[in-house]
Amino acid sequence: MGLQSCIGGTTLQTLKLASIPTLSSSRLVSRPVQLKALTLDFFLLSRHGRSRRSPFPLLARALSAPAIAFQTETPPEEKGNAVVKPQWKAAIDFKWIRENKEAVAVNIRNRNSNANLEAVIELYDKMSNLQKEVERLRGERNVVANKMKGKLEPSERQRLIEEGKNLKEGLATLEEDLLKLTDELQQEAQGIPNMTHPDVPIGGEDCSVIRKKVGSPPQFGFQIKDHLQLGKELDLFDFDAAAEVSGSKFYYLKNEAVMLEMGLINWTLSEVMKKGFIPLTTPEIVRSSVVEKCGFQPRGANTQVYSIEGSDQCLIGTAEIPVGGIHMDSILAESLLPLKYAAFSHCFRTEAGAAGAATRGLYRVHQFSKVEMFVLCRPEESDLYHEELIKIEEDLFSSLGLHYKTLDMASGDLGAPAYRKFDVEAWMPGLERFGEISSASNCTDYQSRRLGIRYRPSEPSSASPKKGKANLAPPRFVHTLNATACAVPRMIVCLLENYQQEDGSVTIPEPLRPFMGGLEIIAPKSR
Amino acid sequence: MKGKLEPSERQRLIEEGKNLKEGLATLEEDLLKLTDELQQEAQGIPNMTHPDVPIGGEDCSVIRKKVGSPPQFGFQIKDHLQLGKELDLFDFDAAAEVSGSKFYYLKNEAVMLEMGLINWTLSEVMKKGFIPLTTPEIVRSSVVEKCGFQPRGANTQVYSIEGSDQCLIGTAEIPVGGIHMDSILAESLLPLKYAAFSHCFRTEAGAAGAATRGLYRVHQFSKVEMFVLCRPEESDLYHEELIKIEEDLFSSLGLHYKTLDMASGDLGAPAYRKFDVEAWMPGLERFGEISSASNCTDYQSRRLGIRYRPSEPSSASPKKGKANLAPPRFVHTLNATACAVPRMIVCLLENYQQEDGSVTIPEPLRPFMGGLEIIAPKSR
Repeated sequence: MGLQSCIGGTTLQTLKLASIPTLSSSRLVSRPVQLKALTLDFFLLSRHGRSRRSPFPLLARALSAPAIAFQTETPPEEKGNAVVKPQWKAAIDFKWIRENKEAVAVNIRNRNSNANLEAVIELYDKMSNLQKEVERLRGERNVVANKMKGKLEPSERQRLIEEGKNLKEGLATLEEDLLKLTDELQQEAQGIPNMTHPDVPIGGEDCSVIRKKVGSPPQFGFQIKDHLQLGKELDLFDFDAAAEVSGSKFYYLKNEAVMLEMGLINWTLSEVMKKGFIPLTTPEIVRSSVVEKCGFQPRGANTQVYSIEGSDQCLIGTAEIPVGGIHMDSILAESLLPLKYAAFSHCFRTEAGAAGAATRGLYRVHQFSKVEMFVLCRPEESDLYHEELIKIEEDLFSSLGLHYKTLDMASGDLGAPAYRKFDVEAWMPGLERFGEISSASNCTDYQSRRLGIRYRPSEPSSASPKKGKANLAPPRFVHTLNATACAVPRMIVCLLENYQQEDGSVTIPEPLRPFMGGLEIIAPKSR
Repeated sequence: MKGKLEPSERQRLIEEGKNLKEGLATLEEDLLKLTDELQQEAQGIPNMTHPDVPIGGEDCSVIRKKVGSPPQFGFQIKDHLQLGKELDLFDFDAAAEVSGSKFYYLKNEAVMLEMGLINWTLSEVMKKGFIPLTTPEIVRSSVVEKCGFQPRGANTQVYSIEGSDQCLIGTAEIPVGGIHMDSILAESLLPLKYAAFSHCFRTEAGAAGAATRGLYRVHQFSKVEMFVLCRPEESDLYHEELIKIEEDLFSSLGLHYKTLDMASGDLGAPAYRKFDVEAWMPGLERFGEISSASNCTDYQSRRLGIRYRPSEPSSASPKKGKANLAPPRFVHTLNATACAVPRMIVCLLENYQQEDGSVTIPEPLRPFMGGLEIIAPKSR
C-alpha cells in the first residue's frame, strides 16, 4: 500500500471537492447555486400555522405521545399491569372503507396483503354502536346532573344520586371497552394497504411493466471486472477490516471512493436544488412511532430497522422517515404546497433475511449515504409530482450516462404505503444484470393520515361578504411522495463497473468532475 | 511412561499423572480467573503523562497559543440559535417531536455550509498526505472498549443497538483505530495518516443546562477526524503536526481561538498529552471547544493489538532468517478533530454576522459552497 498521496498526481494540489467548470487559474470553483431556489417565501407560516387540536374528539389519546412518557423505562414485567400502552392513531376513513368494501377487498388481494377487512368492518360497526351507547349514557348523565341543580325532595335527590352513580359506573366500563375496541380497530385497520392507481399492473414481481428504457449495455473489448475486484485493485474499499470491526456488510470507503461519494452527494443536491427542492440534513435516530407512521414496522420479525437499546428510538432506514415527521400533527397553509425537500442522510438497514451472492460488496449493505426527495402536495397534484420525480431521477441517471430501465411496479410488489411505485434499475455489467438504484412512490394520504399532516384549502376567490370561521374550508390530508435521488453505494457499483477501462482505471462521468476537484480518472496506484 | 516399565512402576506413574492432571486443571482455572481480574483492574490504569503537561485540574491547563481577537460589533449581536431561526437554517422543534431534544435538521444554506466545511477540510488534509476514509458508524462494543471508552458504564456516552453487541460510534477514532486491530504492520507503512469523515452519535447523558442549547451539544453530528499510527519515537512530532494542521485550518477561517495544553486531571485515560482548541463564540460570550488533539502513545495499540515490525538493520547480514527479524513493537496512535461541524457552524454564524442579519461566508469555503458569499435573510 503506497503512502504517497493516493490521489493521482497534480490534481491533489488543486483539489476542491465542489467546483465550477469555468477556470480562472488552476483553482476550480463551484457552479453558482441558483440562489433563487433558496429564497423560499413559502415558509411564511412555518410553525405558526400548526394546529395541535385533535380532529377526533372521541379519540382518548393524542396522535403522538408526549416526549416525557418515553423517557422513563418501563421494565417488561410492569408493562402488563399498565393500562393500554400509549398508541398513536391513524386517521383512517372507516366510512369510506365500508362504502367501498369490494374495491378494498380486491385491492388487498391484488397486493397479497394479510389485512383482515371483515374484522375491520365488524370492529368498526361494534365501535360505532358502542360510541352511540356511550354518548347516550353521557346524555343521560348530563340530564341527571342538570336535574340535581334544581330544588328537589330529599328522596328524589337520593334517587337521582343513585341513578347518577350507576350511570357513572356503567359509563366508565363502556368507555374502557370503547378504548380497547378503538385500539383493536386501529391494529387491524392500520394493516390495510393503500389503494392502487388504476394503471398499475396486477400481479407479482414479474408483472411489472417497463415504462422507459434508456441507453444500452456498454461494449467492452476486454475481460471486465466487478466492482469488488475494481475496488480492491484501486484501493477503494475495505470490507475485511469492517467485518472485524463491525460485522459483515459493513465497509470503509477510501481514497477516490470518498471523493466519489462526496461528489455524488454534492452534485445531486445541487441538481435537485435547481428544481426547487429545499436541502436538508436530518436526525438519523427517531422515535419508533414515527417509523410506524411512515408505514414501516420497527419490531416485526425480519424487521429492517435497528432499535436503540433502552429507549423507544430507532435508526432510520431512509430520510423519508424524519422528513415525513417534520410536519406531523400540523395543518399547513395551502400556499405552502407543494413542499419539496431533498434530504441527505446516512441510512441503516438490518437486511435481515437477505443473503446470497447477489448481495456481495456494495450492493447490499447495512449503512449507506442517500439523498432522498420528499414532496407534500395537494391530493389533485400527486400524480403530477410522481411524474415530476421520476423525470428528475431519469435525468440524473441519463446525465451520468447510465443504461437503465424504469419499471411501473406490479400490485404485488408495492408495499403497503404506495399507491404507485416506479423503480429504476441500472445495468451493472459486473453483476451481469440490472440492479435497483432508485424508487419513486406516491403514497397519497396513507402516510399523512398516520402522521397527521393536513392543509387548509384557501377560501374561494369569489369575495364572500361574510368572513369568519364558518367560511374556512375544513382541512384535508396532504399527499406525500418520496423518491431516491441518489443511493451512493449502488451508484458507485454502476459507475465503477460501467466506466472501467482496459488498463484497470475508471473514468469519472463529466458532470461529477467539478464536484471531485476536477478528477477525471481513478487510476491504479503505483506500488 | 513411554519407556519399558515394571507394572507396579507404571501404575504408580499413572496415579501420579492423574493427580497432576487434576491439580493442573484447577490451577489453570484459577489462572484464567486471575488473569481476568488482573485485566479488569489493570485496564483502568490511565496512560502515563508527558512531562510538560501541567499537573492539576481543569483550571491548570496552560495556553500554548492565542490567535486573533474577538470581533468588534457596532450593533446588538445575536447567538447562533437566533441567527439560525431568522435565516431559516435549522429546525430544533420538529426534531424534538420526531427524535427528542438535542436533535436538529439543518436547512438551506446550513446544509451547504456543512457540505462545504467537510469538503474543504478533507481537501486541505488530503494535501497533507492524509488518506480520506468514510467509516462504519455501527461497531462491535469490544472495539469501543479497546479504544478506551466504556460503552456500558453509567452515564455512558455510547448508544447501544438492541439485541446485539454493537454500538454507535461517538467518533471516527473508533472504527479507524479498529482497521489495523491485531496486525503487525511493516515499518515502511508508517506513519499511516487517515482523515475519516463520519456521523457521530453521543448520548450526552449527564450534560444539561443553558450552555448546551442549540448546536453546542447535540446527539448527532458530522466530523472529520485525523488519525495517525506511527513509531513511538515520532508521536510527539506528529502531535505537534496535528495541532499545527488544526490551527492552520481555524486561522484560515479567520477564527479567534486559543490552544490549551490540558492539565493532568482533564486528560481522559488514553491520552498521554492533549491539546484542545477553544474558539471565541460571541453569541455565547465565551470560548467553546471546537477540537481536541490527543497523543495516546501505546494505550490504544496495546488494547487493539496494533504493532509494527522494525526493519532489519541496513548492514547486510550473511545469515537471513527469522532470527534476524526485530521483535514487533506497539505503534503509537494519535487522533485530532479536523472539523466538528456543529461547533464550526456556531463559530461561523456568530462571528460573521452582519448588522442586517446576514452572515458572510469565509473566503476558503466559498468555492465549496457554489461560490456563495453570504447567507441573507429570505424575502417574505
